[in-house]
Amino acid sequence: MSDLLVAQNVFFGLIAVVMLVSAVRCVTTRNVVHAALWLVLVFAGSAALFILLGSEFVAVTQVLVYIGAIIVLFLFGVMLTRASMGDDASVASEKRAMAALVAVLLAAVMGLALFDSFSDTRLVIDEPQRFGVVSDAIFSQYIVAFEAVSVLLLAALIGAIVIARKD
Amino acid sequence: MLLNSFLLLAGLLFCIGVYGVLVRRNGIMVLMSVELILNSVNINLVAFGAFHGDVGGEVFALFVIAVAAAEVGIGLAIVLLMYRNRLTTDFAEADMLKG
Amino acid sequence: MIDLLAFARPPIDWHAAAPELTLLACGALLTLVDIVWLERAKAVSATLASFSLLAAMVPVVTLAVDGTDRAMFGGAYTVDDFSLVMKAVFLLTAYVVVLLSTDYIAKGDFWESEYYQMLLSAVLGMLVMTSARDLVTIFIALELLSIPAYLMATWHKVDLRSNEAGLKYYLMGVFASAVLLYGMSLLYGVSGSTMLSDINATISNSQAEGLLAVVVLGLIFVVVGFGFKVSAFPFHMWAPDAYEGAPTPVTAFLSVASKAAGFVALLSLVFVGFWDRSDVYQPLLWLLSAASMTGGNLMALRQTNAVRMLAYSGVAQAGYMLAPLAVAGESSATADDALSSVVTYLAIYAAMNLGAFAVIIAVARRTSSAEIDSYKGLFRYAPVLTVAMTVFLMALAGIPPFGGWFAKFEIVLALLSPGTAWGVVLGGVVGLNSVIALYYYARIASYMWVEAPPDNVQSSSPIKVPASVSAALILTGLVTLAFGIVPQWVGHFTDVSLL
Repeated sequence: MSDLLVAQNVFFGLIAVVMLVSAVRCVTTRNVVHAALWLVLVFAGSAALFILLGSEFVAVTQVLVYIGAIIVLFLFGVMLTRASMGDDASVASEKRAMAALVAVLLAAVMGLALFDSFSDTRLVIDEPQRFGVVSDAIFSQYIVAFEAVSVLLLAALIGAIVIARKD
Repeated sequence: MLLNSFLLLAGLLFCIGVYGVLVRRNGIMVLMSVELILNSVNINLVAFGAFHGDVGGEVFALFVIAVAAAEVGIGLAIVLLMYRNRLTTDFAEADMLKG
Repeated sequence: MIDLLAFARPPIDWHAAAPELTLLACGALLTLVDIVWLERAKAVSATLASFSLLAAMVPVVTLAVDGTDRAMFGGAYTVDDFSLVMKAVFLLTAYVVVLLSTDYIAKGDFWESEYYQMLLSAVLGMLVMTSARDLVTIFIALELLSIPAYLMATWHKVDLRSNEAGLKYYLMGVFASAVLLYGMSLLYGVSGSTMLSDINATISNSQAEGLLAVVVLGLIFVVVGFGFKVSAFPFHMWAPDAYEGAPTPVTAFLSVASKAAGFVALLSLVFVGFWDRSDVYQPLLWLLSAASMTGGNLMALRQTNAVRMLAYSGVAQAGYMLAPLAVAGESSATADDALSSVVTYLAIYAAMNLGAFAVIIAVARRTSSAEIDSYKGLFRYAPVLTVAMTVFLMALAGIPPFGGWFAKFEIVLALLSPGTAWGVVLGGVVGLNSVIALYYYARIASYMWVEAPPDNVQSSSPIKVPASVSAALILTGLVTLAFGIVPQWVGHFTDVSLL
């Protein structure tokens, strides 16, 4: 095994552990601000994974949009609705147990399916994906989706202002 | 690297997100759990894209990121409106509508 | 070195994109008028919105007259009979919704021009959806039609019930899209392409057998995701709450257009993307269909509010529309029958459901309530509305000569045509459920005709119905009757094929 491959595997393991722990803390912590901060670690971890996968452009977008904008929005939301800043209302333990059971069963089924299909498929990343290829694809094959998403953002902007403003 | 290590990580994140959606009562917290799921989708898409050597996965992931930003924006607008009217973001407490 | 000039503009068929572009241009005009004229724009916004929708109908008609199937971007965006019929249904539905909204939104405490901007962007999403044949475009179209819909459900800002409806609808909607996306990511992973035709080619060949588990998982997640969108049982929980709390014209829009858009996506996925994997999707859709019909109807029986009742009846109607898909994979002839029957049902359902909501809006002007009890004695003071409501309820129940019977007839025909036991059993379930449904539709009808008006309703003078609502009633009534009485004249419009 080449040194590069060892390094890739070691980093993947580290990132995966950090992401899983943060994700679990994000859905179990009782403090909304802490949950948002744990979410930052998950997002940063995925950005690192995207770099491992050679998708630098997606990694940069992930950092800019998710960590730079979405988390900030979440924190704004938490600050503006001060009442819920502290503890999330406690949930009955049976409901937690049920939800945990659903999640574990789902994980088992999905894990089996994935093992069955991609048991030892290797992933070889030689060089990063070029930005130019991504943008060419967006502006040719996916141009309809691109135009539609721009209308979507405008509609979301207008609508969110109407809904959120005081009148 | 194995393709499956990425897929399994994404699968676990998906399940953690589903757990969060099921147990959380605060609208903002539910939204964070949904973001976990969207993140797992992006990992899947980029990993599959790298595996197939196809640019579609990355493009799809970029679109998902753009839409997620719009979703969170309007979600917080709705939560804010709700908070201003009722002083709670707890949607389980919102019970004007039966059912 | 990357050659920047290597990029070649993809060929664009402007005629094929004309309906969307027209609507986009008119929507942008509406926004600009709003920005420049501010308060004065309110007076023209409804007119401008309905003009936009009718203007977008023009290229749909010219494309239909031209008649050739057009495909752009290697088939990712297609204009064929199916997409043209559905585009027309969406534009006319939205036109009726504008008619229903005009008076309601102007009199209430609403942001008016922005409301129509939201409506037009949602309709744009629906138009894109009818032509989308790849996963990315389907997903973006779905979001483009959902996000304005979440906001419209919340539009009555001072009404706590509207806030709550919006929040519930929004949280369920984003969760459903996330689940749907996970399924799409698995399908993309198996095929390495976002195009539905490529996905079908990969998941059906024998080489993909080793990946069957992931294909099944992906299909389940996609179907569950759309199950939420079309409010199929057991993924319908958000629908009654969202429908009851949202402003009534918005509810009409959600229950008809949003549901139909979910179906359009499901139809193109099933017929183009999964077609050769009928062993996987048929049992799944069979269960979903049977559960929706039965669950929706049983819960509709217990409702005391007309809007909630229509919400549950909408769950049942989604079940009827899913039914033909459960046998669609038997042969390509069956598939054509199944597709045509669902499209027919969608068109008739749009007319009769919008009509019922038009009556509810008109009656609520007097009674300020949608409780079923408040319909008692309606015939004494609003005979025309009573007749109209009876027509729409009987159409929903599927009684000839009103449109609904033809829709149900086509569905049952499509179920029986392949002659499989599964199809026959599901046809029986449809029949049984039609009988259950008759009870709760007939209950409202008997309240209106037989009972005396309740004391708190002023019943001495007739209800004044605004001209726009009357126009909506006439339009939907005519379509409902046309499909019921002369189906041979109008039925061929919905005779389409995707294969």
